[in-house]
Amino acid sequence: MLKQEGAMHEGTITVRLPADVKEIERLNRLVRQFGELHELPLRTLYGMNLALDEAVTNVILYGFDNPAGQEVKVCVEVADSEVRGEVTDAGREFNPLTVPPPNLAAPLEERELGGLGIHLLRSLMDKVTYRRENAKNVLTMSKRIR
Amino acid sequence: MQIQEEKIGDVLVLTISEHLDSSTCNAFENRLLGTIDRGEKKILVNCGPLEYVNSAGLKVFLIAAKQIETVGAKLVLCALSPSVLMIFEMIGFNRIMKIVPTHEEGLRALNGEVATA
Repeated sequence: MLKQEGAMHEGTITVRLPADVKEIERLNRLVRQFGELHELPLRTLYGMNLALDEAVTNVILYGFDNPAGQEVKVCVEVADSEVRGEVTDAGREFNPLTVPPPNLAAPLEERELGGLGIHLLRSLMDKVTYRRENAKNVLTMSKRIR
Repeated sequence: MQIQEEKIGDVLVLTISEHLDSSTCNAFENRLLGTIDRGEKKILVNCGPLEYVNSAGLKVFLIAAKQIETVGAKLVLCALSPSVLMIFEMIGFNRIMKIVPTHEEGLRALNGEVATA
């Protein structure tokens, strides 16, 4: 057997979070620990951590009329030299990929506060997809490990 | 997140550390906007010990930069780690905010001295 390049290990985690913005810190800690255990390159881990933070924060803040009792499911997988994230929620139908990118060339006074998180998510990942399935939003994202 | 505050001459320096995220952005916003409200005119945010910033934290910088421009004050950010700087660049904030590599350059920029190359 040839020794594989790099030291990262394949594996997955699934986390179910109450739809409360205070839970994001726990999510971030779990994703970082997962990344470290699977020896993801630091840059890749940083990107996946931030992309998941943005996706989940968005769902928690805007996905539900009443977030009490609601949850968001997050899966992270390392396989095939790729790290993948999946965020599933039963909130209102929303495809973040329809959010127009912010105008990065606008002068300070015209820069808008909205759309920054989605822009980061799309910029950090190689691929982001959205589907509505069984009355749930499913957002997937992936990044090659180099 | 921790914020340290010190005054160097007439420059107010805020040093921010650890994680600026959805759970800590309000505290940072209150602190930064508070310095503008009490009339500080030269504000240096040292991001050296800052490990992580998300869009909630980035929004605080944008809100502050807009307010600082309207009151005629100056804001400079310094010492961003490579990963934090990458996020600022990804969102285009390097075009609308003054970002310099070191604390010393930050002080020089606010004191109106031209940095010698």
